[in-house]
Amino acid sequence: MIVENTQTQMRKGILEYCILSIIAKGEIYASDIIAELRKAQLLVVEGTLYPLLTRLKNNGLLMYSWVESTSGPPRKYYSLSEDGKKVLEQLDTTWQELAFAVQTSIDGRKSL
Amino acid sequence: MNKTIIININGIVFHIEEDAYEILKNYMTEVKRHFFDSADSLEITTDIENRIAELFNDILMKENRQVIVEQDVNNVIAQMGSVEDFGTQDEEQESHFSATYTDMPHRRLFRDPDDYLVGGVCSGIASYFDVPPVWVRLAFAITFLFAGTGFFLYVILWIIIPKAITRADRMVMRGEKLDLQGFKRNFEAEVSALGGKISDFQHEARPFIYKTRDFVGDFFHHLGRFIQALGKVFVKIFGLAILLACVGFTIALIVTVLTFLAYGDIHIYTLFPFNVVNREYNTIFLLSGFITLFIPLLAIALATIRLVFGRETIGRSLGSTLLVVWIASVSIVIYYAAKATAEFKSFASFSQNVNIKPTANHTYYLKLNDVKYLTREDSAKLDIKDKFYGKTILSTDEDVNLPAPFDNITIEIEKADVSQPVLTEEFSSRGGTYEDALLVARDISYNFVQQDSVLKFDRQLRIGDKQLWRDQEVHLHVKLPLNSNVVIDQNLDRYLRGFDYWACKDKDKSNKTYTATFIVTPTGLQCKADTIKVLNTDSTKVDNQ
Repeated sequence: MIVENTQTQMRKGILEYCILSIIAKGEIYASDIIAELRKAQLLVVEGTLYPLLTRLKNNGLLMYSWVESTSGPPRKYYSLSEDGKKVLEQLDTTWQELAFAVQTSIDGRKSL
Repeated sequence: MNKTIIININGIVFHIEEDAYEILKNYMTEVKRHFFDSADSLEITTDIENRIAELFNDILMKENRQVIVEQDVNNVIAQMGSVEDFGTQDEEQESHFSATYTDMPHRRLFRDPDDYLVGGVCSGIASYFDVPPVWVRLAFAITFLFAGTGFFLYVILWIIIPKAITRADRMVMRGEKLDLQGFKRNFEAEVSALGGKISDFQHEARPFIYKTRDFVGDFFHHLGRFIQALGKVFVKIFGLAILLACVGFTIALIVTVLTFLAYGDIHIYTLFPFNVVNREYNTIFLLSGFITLFIPLLAIALATIRLVFGRETIGRSLGSTLLVVWIASVSIVIYYAAKATAEFKSFASFSQNVNIKPTANHTYYLKLNDVKYLTREDSAKLDIKDKFYGKTILSTDEDVNLPAPFDNITIEIEKADVSQPVLTEEFSSRGGTYEDALLVARDISYNFVQQDSVLKFDRQLRIGDKQLWRDQEVHLHVKLPLNSNVVIDQNLDRYLRGFDYWACKDKDKSNKTYTATFIVTPTGLQCKADTIKVLNTDSTKVDNQ
C-alpha cells in the first residue's frame, strides 16, 4: 500500500506538471493532451483528464477558447495563462532540483 | 432489425440503438453521480459529453454509418475510462490525507440506507466493525429486553449517525478500497480553499436541528415501511386463517351433504329442516342449500386469495356464472322455506277420551312404555309372528320415522270430576288451512296401554308414513278420582307438565326406587310426602292438646 501510494503521489504531482508542460507548447485540444500523455505512459483514460483540466483552469493556471470543429461540437482549446506560465517556470525549477536530488541519491546508492 | 433512439448531446443529434443507449445512459449517470459533489460537476460532465459526441461523430464519419451501435459505445467508454478508473486516479489525491493510516481501510460510521430494518443503524455499525449485521441486530434486540435501553440507544444513534446518502458515503461506510469520499474531500477542499470558504464536512457541520429534522423525516419514513411490512405479514396470516376456515367449512359442508345423501331416503326426512319440505323436493332443497352456503365460502376464499396474495383466481365470466347459480339456489331455498312456512299458518286440534279401568286400591302406576309399537306394515315386513314370537321388541330413543324431536308429548295429571278415571288425548297440528291442519292432526296416532294398575305411555307419537312435520303435538290429560295414589316413573319426567317430579322425589328420602308418589287432591296433584307431613303436624297438635 505504501509503495502504491508513494507511486501514485509521485505520478500525480508529475501529471499536473506534464499537463502544464504540454499545454505550454500552444493552444491544444484535450484529446491531443491525452495522446501526449499516453505516449508518455502517464495516463490511460480520457475521463480522468477533464476534472484535472477544470481544476487547473479554476486555479487560474489555464484558460481556454472555443473553436468550431468540422466534425462535431465546438472544442475547448486550452492554453496557459500568465499565472500558469509562472507556475510552470517554478515547477521547471522544482523539477530540476528534484531530478538532481533523486539522481544524486541514486548515484550515491550506486557508488556504495 | 433494431430500434433506434434519437439523442441530443449538447446540440448534436445522434441515432443510437436502444441497447447502446442504455449503456451510454448508465455510463453518464455513473459519471454524473461520481462528480455530483464537485462544484464543477456540470462543466466536467459537459466536457465529457462533448468529447463523447465528438468520438461518436468520428466513428460515424470514418465508417460512413448513421447509427451508433453497442460496440461503438463500449469503445468510447473504454477510451474515456470507467468511473472506477476515475476513482483510482482520484484516490491518489486522497492519499495526502490518509497516508498516515493507509494500512487500515478507512471507515466511517453511517446509517445504511440500503440495508435496514428500521433506520439502518445496526447495519451501519456492522459495516463499521466489519461484522455481519445480524449480530448487531441481535445485540440490540437483546438490549431491548432490558427496560428498553436498546430502544433509546437506538433512537439516539439514529439521530447522531448521518445517513449514507451518496455512493461515496456508502463506500466509506464499508471501507471499500475504491475511496471516492477521499477524492471529494480533497477536491472540495482545494476548490473551497481557492474560493476562500470551507464547505467541507458538511455532514458533521450541520446544526443539530437539521439532524433532528432529518431524523424525524427518516423516522416516519422507516416507521411507515416497517408498519407496512408488519401489516403485510399480519394480513397474510389473517388471509391464511380465513382461507383455512373456508376450507374447513367447505369440508364440513360436503361431509354433511354426503352424510345426508348416504342416509338417503329414510333418515334425512326426520331431521329438521328436511322434514318440513315435501320429500320429492328434498334433494333439490338439499343441493340448493349446499350451493347457497358453498358459493359464498368459495367467494370469500377467492377474494382473500386475490386481496391478500394478489393472485387473479377467477375469470369474470366464471364469477358471474357462480353469482347466477348462487342467486338461483338462494331463490329455491327461499321458495321452499316460504312454501313450508305457509304450511304452518293454521292451527287445529281435537280431543278424544279413552277410559281407564278403575283399580281396586286406587293406585295407578304411570310408566314409559318400552315395548316398541309396530305398525301393521312394519309387523308384516319383519314377519313378527314367525320370527319374533314371544319376544319383545324394545323402543329406543333413536327411533326412526318420528316427527322432529321436539317436545310434542305432554302429560298432565288432573282430578277427575267423576269417579271414572279417563285419559283425554288432545291432538293438534298446523297446516296451510284449518282443514289441512285438522287432517294432519287426525293422522297422528298415539299408543297408550293399561295393564291392570299400570298406565303405559309411548315415547313418541306417530304421524302418517308420508306425513311431513307440521308441529304435530299430543297433550295427554290423565284424569283420576280424588285421593288416588299416583306412582310416577322417573323416565316419564320429561313429559310431565304442571308438577315437579324431582322436588317430590327428593322429599321422600326413604324411597329408593326410581319413582315418586303423588296424591290427587281437590286442587290437583300433590306430592305424597307433603301430605304426610301435614298430617303429622296435625297429629302432634292434637297430642299437645
